[in-house]
Amino acid sequence: MPLDTSIYPLALLRLDGRRWNELRRIHAQVSVQAAADGSSYLEMGNTRVICVVLGPAEGKDKGQRGAREGEAKVGVEIAVAGFSGMERRRRVGNKRTSEMQHCLSTAFSSLLFTHLYPHSTISISIHILSQDGSLLAACLNAATLALIDAGIPMSDYLTACTVASSASSSSSDTATSDPLLDLNGLEEQELPFLTIGAVGEKVSVLMLETRVRMERVEGMLAVGVEGCKRVRAILDGVVRTYEKKFG
Amino acid sequence: MEYFSLKRSSALDQGQTNLSSKVYVRSTKSGKVQKIVRELYLRRDIPCSSSLCRACLEIAPTDYSKKVAPFVLSDTPAGSKNFPNGQYLVPDTNAFLTGMDLFEVETAFHDVVVLQTVLEEVKNQSLPLYHRLIALTKNEGKRFYVFFNEFRQETYVIRNAGETINDRNDRAVRKAVLWYNHHLSEAVAARSKKQQRIPSVVMITDDRDNLQKAKSDGIPALSLSEFVSGLENADELLDMISAAQERREVRSSKAEVFYPEYFTMSKMMTGVKAGTLHQGIFNVSPYNYLEGSIHVPAFDKSLLILGRENSNRAVSGDVVVVEVLPKDQWKAPSTKIIEEETLNKNDNPEVEDGEDVISERERRALQEEVKRVHGQSAEGRPQPTARVVGIIKRNWRQYVGHIDRDSVRSTSKSSRQQQMVFLVPMDKRIPKIRIRTRQAGELLGQRVLATIDSWERDSRYPVGHFVRSLGELESKGAETEALLLEWDVQYRPFPKIVLDCLPPEGHEWKVPASLDDPGWRGRKDLRDLLVCSIDPPGCVDIDDALHARKLPNGNFEVGVHIADVSHFVKPNNAMDKEASQRGTTVYLVDKRIDMLPMLLGTDLCSLKPYVERYAFTVLWEITTNADIVSVDFTKSVIRSREAFSYEQAQIRIDDESQQDGLTNGMRTLMMLSKKLRQKRYDAGALNLASPEVKVQTESETSDPVDVQTKRLLDTNSLVEEFMLLANISVAGKNYEAFPQTALLRRHGAPPKTNFEELGNQLKVKKGLEIRTDSSKALADSLDTCVDHKEPFFNTLVRIMATRCMMSAEYFCAGSQAYPEFRHYGLASEIYTHFTSPIRRYADLEAHRQLAAAIDYEPLDPSLHSKAKLEGICKNINMRHRNAQMAGRASIEYYVGQALKGKDIKEEGFIMKIFSNGFVVFVPRFGVESLIRLRDLATPEPEAEFDAENYVLKVKGDINRSVELFEKVTVRITDEIEESTGKRKVKLTLV
Ligand SMILES: [Zn+2]
Repeated sequence: MPLDTSIYPLALLRLDGRRWNELRRIHAQVSVQAAADGSSYLEMGNTRVICVVLGPAEGKDKGQRGAREGEAKVGVEIAVAGFSGMERRRRVGNKRTSEMQHCLSTAFSSLLFTHLYPHSTISISIHILSQDGSLLAACLNAATLALIDAGIPMSDYLTACTVASSASSSSSDTATSDPLLDLNGLEEQELPFLTIGAVGEKVSVLMLETRVRMERVEGMLAVGVEGCKRVRAILDGVVRTYEKKFG
Repeated sequence: MEYFSLKRSSALDQGQTNLSSKVYVRSTKSGKVQKIVRELYLRRDIPCSSSLCRACLEIAPTDYSKKVAPFVLSDTPAGSKNFPNGQYLVPDTNAFLTGMDLFEVETAFHDVVVLQTVLEEVKNQSLPLYHRLIALTKNEGKRFYVFFNEFRQETYVIRNAGETINDRNDRAVRKAVLWYNHHLSEAVAARSKKQQRIPSVVMITDDRDNLQKAKSDGIPALSLSEFVSGLENADELLDMISAAQERREVRSSKAEVFYPEYFTMSKMMTGVKAGTLHQGIFNVSPYNYLEGSIHVPAFDKSLLILGRENSNRAVSGDVVVVEVLPKDQWKAPSTKIIEEETLNKNDNPEVEDGEDVISERERRALQEEVKRVHGQSAEGRPQPTARVVGIIKRNWRQYVGHIDRDSVRSTSKSSRQQQMVFLVPMDKRIPKIRIRTRQAGELLGQRVLATIDSWERDSRYPVGHFVRSLGELESKGAETEALLLEWDVQYRPFPKIVLDCLPPEGHEWKVPASLDDPGWRGRKDLRDLLVCSIDPPGCVDIDDALHARKLPNGNFEVGVHIADVSHFVKPNNAMDKEASQRGTTVYLVDKRIDMLPMLLGTDLCSLKPYVERYAFTVLWEITTNADIVSVDFTKSVIRSREAFSYEQAQIRIDDESQQDGLTNGMRTLMMLSKKLRQKRYDAGALNLASPEVKVQTESETSDPVDVQTKRLLDTNSLVEEFMLLANISVAGKNYEAFPQTALLRRHGAPPKTNFEELGNQLKVKKGLEIRTDSSKALADSLDTCVDHKEPFFNTLVRIMATRCMMSAEYFCAGSQAYPEFRHYGLASEIYTHFTSPIRRYADLEAHRQLAAAIDYEPLDPSLHSKAKLEGICKNINMRHRNAQMAGRASIEYYVGQALKGKDIKEEGFIMKIFSNGFVVFVPRFGVESLIRLRDLATPEPEAEFDAENYVLKVKGDINRSVELFEKVTVRITDEIEESTGKRKVKLTLV
């Protein structure tokens, strides 16, 4: 039986050797697929996703569902590679996929300047290559990069990360309840956590993935917003490097 | 366009800590092999945690609240012969596995570094030991530090090609020790140039290869026994090293096996799933150590497991898997008393060559049994039998016992020779344990704590090791501690962290004078009511108080006021956690082990007379016919006018000249309680007697001077009746507010089969009938069980009936359907415990739920969680049972002591009959004891056992027969029971 998240208070170290406020290694690239209007590849630890953006393109059918009059529709499709899961049982189910699709679509509909493209569709498709926690956050980050790559105007980066409460709800010892930033798959299975997406200082996505105790949420949000800021800096670096090279 | 590949980008991003990855291979449930890659962030900011080191202080991590954990390891650690400058110990995995008891000794083994590599391996090998190790790291006095060597860049090692995991881990341990030594010398050098005293960091391992390698690399290393030998109390400590490992090496050369091999886990699981095997908890009969039973869902009656070979090294309490034996081997449960002591008295703990697993005498005893069963079938209907094929989970704990004198080769106290001896556990269901010790001479005549380490196929008895001595056999201290340990009662003083939760005013705490104080928010001022408490004499933790007064409309207002413990014990603080662990206060004859610190239990919460106290009050309006008109719940402040004992209250009520309001209030309560009681009985509540004995002790020495059965007064039932009413009212309210999570108490209806034997006995012996279709039917039929010549007979039947009952249990409302809530004994639809929050944790939780139900305060989230509540219920159910057993054991000890040296004739009744003995119950002392045939005369007289008529005809000189329910005269003396070392009442037939 390997060690579990209950060891955290012993030395303030997490299962992979990180501190509470450390992100995993983030590696990202943009314009990874020449054929697409915009694309990105993103790794957060061992979670890896590819995102491809097509559009904005004139929509064929008129009464597009989910899109308001005079605005572009943001369609999201998420596909999971068969080999991506840690274990077959743990693989993203259909319900979870459609939940994430809906979440992305809502978030980007309000972030992108969709009114510039009436009657069109912006379609985001994401391939999940491997999963090791913070999946929704990785999808949001990858989509942001790909949308920037496609040159679709938006007010700011939408960046996301996860935060957990280190003490499980059963042993509610307030002394050891550090919020933990950016969870890997193991931590997600054991700890109550939420996914947070922010545009600047503003929280735009908040998904409580498990039941979280009210008094913990505030601290978790603060750490999450800070995490998003750091992700933003990293993604911004990626975009700028690319611009320098090819822009 | 940049070339894009799916291959993992190997170049590390800048600014990242050093990254490595850990690859696991594991097989999934479907049998496929999976490779799991996990990231590993290597870092240089993991401190050594030595108070000598300043460099690490600068890099020490801070938590979210910006706090740095204090450094653990002492700057002046204890030294030893080899390491005069002091040492930090770094044990390897096996050192912990074999020596955990040693590491827990308070007087030795301080300043220990637990490596992450080792912690993980310990967890892999044994979860209980892992938990004990974690507990050690939290014990401040022991100074155990967990060093995450696998995350520190300098101590991380990569597994070499062809290297086994064990070798890699050993290497990781050596590397960490080497680093520590180097790091410490740097740290000391940085402090001052002159300082010479650098503690050594010493690896502790029993692995010869590892020791060798360490020595050639210049790493300080010792074996566990080498290290212990250098300590002061080496002999005692050496005994505590688990015998298991040493033995394994010696044994492997011998091929003789006594027991069948266990099935593999997967074979067992498949079998259980398919229904060919069954899983359950193995229980051993207290009368017959060779008879085990196991209850499995597939069978109504328990499966019997007979003899050593079939029980195959299972110890009472283990979770086992069994296979049902063919029908021709089924048999009736034993009617014979078989005690290990008498059959295998002369087994030698050292030599096991050439003996069978079943000794010849055991075999004979078993065969006689089987013959008996096949000879007749009417009464002794055969029961399915089974054999153990594997163990799912060992439930071994520490066992209290004494050293078998006959097993000690050299009793000389000065002898330091190691020898193998038997420890005979107090719990008769546990087999003798073989123990290797160097202090056999000293341990003789002592109460000894020991554990079982292993039970291999080639060993007739389990092998264990000595933990510590509790003191002289029969001494009050040792016997009390023994029974507390046996029943797992937490009796150590409350730690500081718990005491810190108490109100800072201490005994000076008072109900705030000003009604504007937040303490008064939501409280009713009931200080004007004439409240009093009625308890056993000398009661200091007063949970409850009562009052009654007439209302203008002719009805009565009755109030039950309960100590407001939840005001002082807030959910989830250290005191709450301790209380929830303890679950209940344990009452021994001369000692009380409190659930809450004294300050609360006997002062601030206790509803003492003449002072104002916070209370939680239930108020009813009740008609003269004891019908409830309404009920109300409120937090309150009361001032009790008097604390009566049952007797004082009774005298006052009976004294017509007393016409004050308080006494009249008690008379009202008395009148109403009698009516309430009648109503309960009409509804089918049971009146079950259990003999309660009171030991009178001399107050100074608490030496027992007399034993009496408790006398019950009307005032006893007065209090009881209103407590029941309060509990029922609160149960209803809490359930209404929290249908999923209300903490309730249920008492299941006993299955019909439980009463089969008693019913048959009554029918055969007395022509009486017992009906069990409902509690009402049972109560009525128990009333008819009378023998006009023998008034005690009815009580005897009630005592026996009580033993056929299920035990009541706490549960969480959402886990049962409403009809299952029923309390069978009280004939109430719903019930909980509310009235004793000072001494029962369940009541405290009920208080919190009720406070939320009446919107006094919000409910703590932990009480919303069904899972957590179920955990609490499980624990308090167990604690409750253990507390009862400990209380009984304490009475048994004192009764034994009170009768020491006495010789009394008393009347008794026969409760149970075996083919070679019978059990007699003596009402005067509430004791029951076994009289064996061999106690009647030597040599053991022949006897004829008529199982169908429950008659045992003893032949020979004695020439008399005894039958069930018979009244006999017995001579009561005392003796030390050979098998358990307890002083017990000894009965002989007159
Ligand atoms: Zn250091």
